[in-house]
Amino acid sequence: MSAFAVNKLCRDALHDVAFREALKRDPAAAMAPLPLTDDERKALLAGDVAWLYQQGAHPYLLSYLLRWQLFGLTAPVFSERMRALAGKEDAAS
Amino acid sequence: MAEIVAAFGVPHTPAFPALVAKEGPDCETAKLYAEIAKRLHAAAPDVLVIYTDDHFNTFFLDNFPTFAVGIADETSGPNDQTPMPSYRVAVEASLATHLRASAIGDGFDLSLVQDFDVDHATMVPLHFLTPEMNVAIVPIFVNGLAPPLPSSQRCYALGRSVAAAIESWPENKRVAVIGSGSFSLEIGGPKIPPGERAGTPDPGWGTRVQEHLERARVDELVAEATTARLARAGNIAGELLNWIAMLGVVGGHKPTFIVSQTSQGHAYAAWRLD
Repeated sequence: MSAFAVNKLCRDALHDVAFREALKRDPAAAMAPLPLTDDERKALLAGDVAWLYQQGAHPYLLSYLLRWQLFGLTAPVFSERMRALAGKEDAAS
Repeated sequence: MAEIVAAFGVPHTPAFPALVAKEGPDCETAKLYAEIAKRLHAAAPDVLVIYTDDHFNTFFLDNFPTFAVGIADETSGPNDQTPMPSYRVAVEASLATHLRASAIGDGFDLSLVQDFDVDHATMVPLHFLTPEMNVAIVPIFVNGLAPPLPSSQRCYALGRSVAAAIESWPENKRVAVIGSGSFSLEIGGPKIPPGERAGTPDPGWGTRVQEHLERARVDELVAEATTARLARAGNIAGELLNWIAMLGVVGGHKPTFIVSQTSQGHAYAAWRLD
């Protein structure tokens, strides 16, 4: 999976203020027109950045979700989820 | 013929312009950039060739170049909502065109980019070094963020090719070269500290890089900066490749100035080459 649509969503959250505000207001509705898979949609709504990262979403782009606290992400939550992967990726690479 | 007069390495942390605006000229970051700016102005370059990495702003994953050069009359930025002033700056299209042809002749297939703006990796250094935007630039984009990254050997060889291209540019101009970026940096990935968005997972690698730079051990640095080593230093540590390409003009020279912000995983360095 390329996770292209997830990466694009993150980038658009930076560049498109109206889209960012829509994501804050009603994330499911804002994502409805996007070509995301059901699993990607579910993971985004759950703020499951670790799963998205494992599917190929770029961490720099995912960090935009934290920057505006989209999908319920706060720094403690985001970092705890990502840090749970530490060591696993080194073992895999 | 053009002359290479100086080289510089600097970080491009997006928070620095706002930090320095708040803390004033006596804060550490302001002083370090001022040291580099002083040496840059003393070298009096007519053109700055800057090795920079785009953070998915100028380009995106629909088409992300490994190496590219901007050829236009001017560019602008930052295009990524970095809290800092917006600037326009001239691009030295003549050198950029010559450099691209020369590099392609050497086997480096630089993508052509004619309509573009740039993000903080280019504009934060210029904000501190040439805030009047009165020195034209040639931006060379190196993929430091989207794996697989180009190898350190490939980036250094590109830097050597670009050095030869500058020296064969038939204009009586003074050219300086800048490498922009960090040595150890993780943003949004598994190596961030608890409760943070970003961190410096491997300050020891930054110290190692600095030692090599101080002693002009370019071959050792290039050999050690493997893809795996850069990955251990963080998911943004590929920005060292901008420095390694810049070192293509440095040869065996030692820097005239180099100071690290070790805990932040980056350094400020200057070489005088004329």
